[in-house]
Amino acid sequence: MAINLRTFRDGDAAPPARPLTVSRTRASRRILLDRISSRLVVLGGIVIIASILAILLVIAAEVYPLFLKPSATFVRAYPPATAGVLAAGDSIGVDEYREVAFAVTRNGAVALAALDGNGKRSLPPVTAPSLGTATVTTVSAPAKGGYLLGTSDGRVIPLEVKFDVTFPNGERTVTPRPEFGAAASLDPERKRAIVRLGHASTASGPLTVAQVGPTELLVHKVIEKKALIGGARKEETSAALTIPLDGEVTALRLDSRGEDLFIGTSRGQIVWYDLRDADPKQTGAVEVGEAPVTALGFLLGDRTLVTGDGRGAVATWQIVPAGGARRLTLIHRFKGHRGPVVAVDASKRDKGFATADARGEVHVHYGTSGQTLLSVTTGTADLRSVVFAPKSDALLVVDRDGGFRQWRLDNPHPGVTLGTLFGKVWYEGYSEPAWVWQSTGGTDDFEAKLSLTPLVYGTLKGTFYALLFAVPIALLAAIYVSEFMHAAIKNYVKPVVEIMAALPSVVLGFFAGLWLAPVVERVVPGLFLMPAVVAVAILGALLVWRTVPAAIRGRFRTGTEMLLVLPVVVGSGAVALALGGLVERVVLAGSYRGWLLSALGLTYDQRNSLVVGIAMGFAVIPIIFTIAEDSLANVPQHLRAGSLALGATRWQTAIRIVLPTASPGIFSAIMIGFGRAVGETMIVLMATGNTPVMDWSIFNGFRALSANIAVELPEAPEAGTLFRVLFLAAFLLFCLTFAVNTVAELVRLKLRQKYRYL
Amino acid sequence: MSSRARQLWHSGEPFIWLTGGALAFALVLVLGLLGLIVANGLGFFWPSDVVRLTLTDGRTVSGLLVEREAIPEGAGRNRVKLKVANRDLYGADFQWVDEAVIARRDHPRDVVVMERTEWGLLIGTIKEVRDGGRIVASGAEQGLAELERRLPGVALARREIKRIEKGEVGAINHAQEKIRLGLRRLSLRGVTSGPAVDSLQREMAVLQAQYTAEEARLVDLRGRQTASVVVAADGGREKDLPLLQVLRVDSPNAMSLAAKSVRYLARVLEFVWSDPRESNTEGGVFPAIFGTVMMVLIMSVMVAPLGVLAAFYLREYARQGTFVSAVRIAVNNLAGVPSIVFGVFGVGFFIYFVGGTIDRLFFSESLPSPTFGTGGILWASLTLALLTVPVVIVATEEGLAAIPRGMREASLALGATKLETTLRVVLPAVMPSILTGLILAMARAAGEVAPLMITGVVKLAPALPVDGFWPFVHLDRKFMHLGFHIYDVGFQSPNVDAARPMVFVTTLLLLAIVVLLNLFAIGLRNRLRRKYAMSAV
Repeated sequence: MAINLRTFRDGDAAPPARPLTVSRTRASRRILLDRISSRLVVLGGIVIIASILAILLVIAAEVYPLFLKPSATFVRAYPPATAGVLAAGDSIGVDEYREVAFAVTRNGAVALAALDGNGKRSLPPVTAPSLGTATVTTVSAPAKGGYLLGTSDGRVIPLEVKFDVTFPNGERTVTPRPEFGAAASLDPERKRAIVRLGHASTASGPLTVAQVGPTELLVHKVIEKKALIGGARKEETSAALTIPLDGEVTALRLDSRGEDLFIGTSRGQIVWYDLRDADPKQTGAVEVGEAPVTALGFLLGDRTLVTGDGRGAVATWQIVPAGGARRLTLIHRFKGHRGPVVAVDASKRDKGFATADARGEVHVHYGTSGQTLLSVTTGTADLRSVVFAPKSDALLVVDRDGGFRQWRLDNPHPGVTLGTLFGKVWYEGYSEPAWVWQSTGGTDDFEAKLSLTPLVYGTLKGTFYALLFAVPIALLAAIYVSEFMHAAIKNYVKPVVEIMAALPSVVLGFFAGLWLAPVVERVVPGLFLMPAVVAVAILGALLVWRTVPAAIRGRFRTGTEMLLVLPVVVGSGAVALALGGLVERVVLAGSYRGWLLSALGLTYDQRNSLVVGIAMGFAVIPIIFTIAEDSLANVPQHLRAGSLALGATRWQTAIRIVLPTASPGIFSAIMIGFGRAVGETMIVLMATGNTPVMDWSIFNGFRALSANIAVELPEAPEAGTLFRVLFLAAFLLFCLTFAVNTVAELVRLKLRQKYRYL
Repeated sequence: MSSRARQLWHSGEPFIWLTGGALAFALVLVLGLLGLIVANGLGFFWPSDVVRLTLTDGRTVSGLLVEREAIPEGAGRNRVKLKVANRDLYGADFQWVDEAVIARRDHPRDVVVMERTEWGLLIGTIKEVRDGGRIVASGAEQGLAELERRLPGVALARREIKRIEKGEVGAINHAQEKIRLGLRRLSLRGVTSGPAVDSLQREMAVLQAQYTAEEARLVDLRGRQTASVVVAADGGREKDLPLLQVLRVDSPNAMSLAAKSVRYLARVLEFVWSDPRESNTEGGVFPAIFGTVMMVLIMSVMVAPLGVLAAFYLREYARQGTFVSAVRIAVNNLAGVPSIVFGVFGVGFFIYFVGGTIDRLFFSESLPSPTFGTGGILWASLTLALLTVPVVIVATEEGLAAIPRGMREASLALGATKLETTLRVVLPAVMPSILTGLILAMARAAGEVAPLMITGVVKLAPALPVDGFWPFVHLDRKFMHLGFHIYDVGFQSPNVDAARPMVFVTTLLLLAIVVLLNLFAIGLRNRLRRKYAMSAV
């Protein structure tokens, strides 16, 4: 030890000075330690700050896959499983695990193709037992209970292709099991060939529609009546239906409920029959184009009709209720084909569908968004049919001889585009395009409606009402505290405001939702009267105060007016509420709600924007107050002194000199308050009904982006579309608040510089 | 306008009064809110008198008076709201009574208020006490005495049952779960038979035998509690209540002020120390307090070193320039980013990315049920640490900026290295600022709910994150939180009306924690400012 510490402490005479020896090794160790530590601090600091700022990146990384372009990769081509020509209609299918595909051929065989690719597994075809000499002319689209084959002698044969999944030796094996039902004759007298076929199962029994001539259809109904004794009784009716056309029927589609029959004609028309009555009647006809309608299909749920015509045009149509009637309405036109459309198949998972033309071109579209996602050139000459795999993860096409080709689809978020997230979308069952947020529904074919617009609207609405309440109070209070208030009281007021800033938002939300909402409901007219009544009362109090003898008045120092005003505010607030009750009884006929409804057409929700505005005001007032007060108080003192010296009053100085100087700071205060209100979660969650409606009324609730995330994220499956859309909502909130806060911060920095020069 | 009025107008005095009014209004709002919560929260525990209303039609209604209001469109008449309790008998906890139909009010001394494990309060008069079908005491007075004699024993038995259920059966379940996971781990490695598997299975069988024995003990314990009390309620209804369900019996109308105060304190203590009952609407909030405190502590452990290191880098080590200013603004602004966004980040990064990876690497035997790949106290604390790290950085930086340059220069001039200066001179001087920042961060974290809702808070956690099983601290567990408790009980519970007082109390508790932490931080900061203001001269 070179320096004796004890010496300094005791103040004794120092021992004889020893030469100060500095150990070289010790010094170099200290220096090394110093270098290492400063490297570490720099590294650590940069890592910490970078990881804090990486928040945006992580959120963006979760959002990014939403907007990835879908892609299709060719898997391979499979040779025809059996010699035979493919039957017309929806004659192909594939199992859930994409191991076995099947195709129905004209000679009544179900040809099976193993898709695992190495060609080792060969599956023998299964032939319909009851076909006889006839051929299969058409296959109907699968409905409940499977396919229906139409024959050249007017019969129909049900076909169900089941897949047994077993796990011998821990490996999945899919065994196809085609089952043919008993054949039934639809046209026993004339035995005409069935050209096109549709079938459905209605509530009362199966329904079959068969085309047997250019314009002749047969409608075959089986009505199953359950008798109390003697079991079920079947009643079959068959009716001929001739379509009054000058062309011929080129396509036919029956929905799975057996309610609506759509017929495409060679003149480019769609004729629409309502089959719900015993007597089928034509309900409407629309022009699709000039070319013949060559393919018809439904999207999942059988509410949207897809048309494809001879010139390759593709469009979707929906039955839209319009003034009591139902009208077939064009929804979207899609990217067309260069040749006639030969096949349409809908995804079994979502509202996607594929169309194919004879030249081998396949397009994948999405019904809701109106977008064509993919174009695949299959290279198949004489393409006949296209089918989605049950999980919508692959697409199979087949040529005339039953040779399959498979494409893997990578399209995890098909329904999401910027257009569907922010624009109006025409959903099934809606009479017009609309902004809708409805992420979950009761049924299997429910389509999630993920429009962020109502949520953004709700966020802005809540923020608007909160600022409407908070900004005047906060700014006026800030002006008072910084300009007029006595320093002695300031020390008591400012901590109160800081406590206000620290109130947890869940407390405010609870207060707003459970206490304030029922109270506000009773005193709405009084609340609206309150600002005016309180202001008048304060002015009145001032007039009264001036009549008080100066001896008493003089004992109150300037800057303590607030103490005098405080009781006036409390008292006049109570008076305003009482007056509100009076106004309601006298002017508003006893019930402000009735008056709102009859005079303004507004309804009143208990948890509404008014309540949210007040509660969120609690959260925003201290923020705006603190920043505004800070920038006002920092205005250089000599400006005030100069103004007062020139004879301006306190008020004139405050309004004409101080306020304009500090206005950038006030702007930034409001911006930061805005940022806080935009992101507030618990208050809006607890104090509104959380219904995603778009309505500016102060008496209705809303659903904000933030509350929506809190409610739905725990239920959203990881990496699903909803999950990513919620991340997008968070991303929007982040960007919005970060941008607003940065602008506010820059403005403040600039203001501080300005003060330094003044 | 008269000239005096004009003069007054031009002097601006009316405007000054109006601005003062705005401030007064804001203060009234805050103090009113605080007062409302304090009044409602503190009143909850007071054993208030039971009032018996005799109506004009001869019926009687007894209960606790809750509020009185004007009947809407009732022409000046009032009605009172009574908490009649006895939910199992009447179907509802509350009843409105029009004051016009009340013939008489009295406060009978023999009415008792019973707290029980199910169905909320029971209000009525004791008719008799039975034991195994035999009447051992009858009448209000004797019954109460008998009850008071028996209740301590019953409470002991209840505690014993709970100890077996939670402690011993819990330990068996825990051991069984471990064995099951061990078997799974072996089978994942391809071992499905052999000595290892056999020994595990033998252990399992032993445990199963123990379990059966404990079950039998429980049945025996329950079977020995045969006593019950019959309580007569209004409208001639009676309730035969097993003593095992009775937690506490009060006869508030006969209690002195001192006895009531003692009871009040006992109930406050019970609220703080006991577990919740009846889906959180009764009992205590101990698990929520525990969860909140533990989460805040984990967060503090994470946030303090990170925030301080970042602040030291920004202020002491980085070269000051545009880049550092930009970073400073960004960090500042992060404090203004909505808390739910941090929660979303926590879900995406901590839970699914980090937690999912940990699960795949170390807990593959319990997949697909996640261990760390789901919300838990660790992820919630980390999320909040991220949320509050700007608070610590800003406070520490402010403190560093306030330390006079001379102090550092003196140290360097004496030959100290930068590290030594930082550790021995700067750090002690800036310590109070760090503490201020940390306390503010803790206050913010204690009150924050939105990010927790998606990162691991639950309505009712089956176990605390700390218990007697290895490794004692379970950071993967879900936990309860006071703020979420408020949201859940106030908005998600089936009987919001009955739960409301409970929410007020919880709110008061949370508010007290947050406000005290804040006041402490404000005080500390003000002292610091004064100190540096003097040292700067």
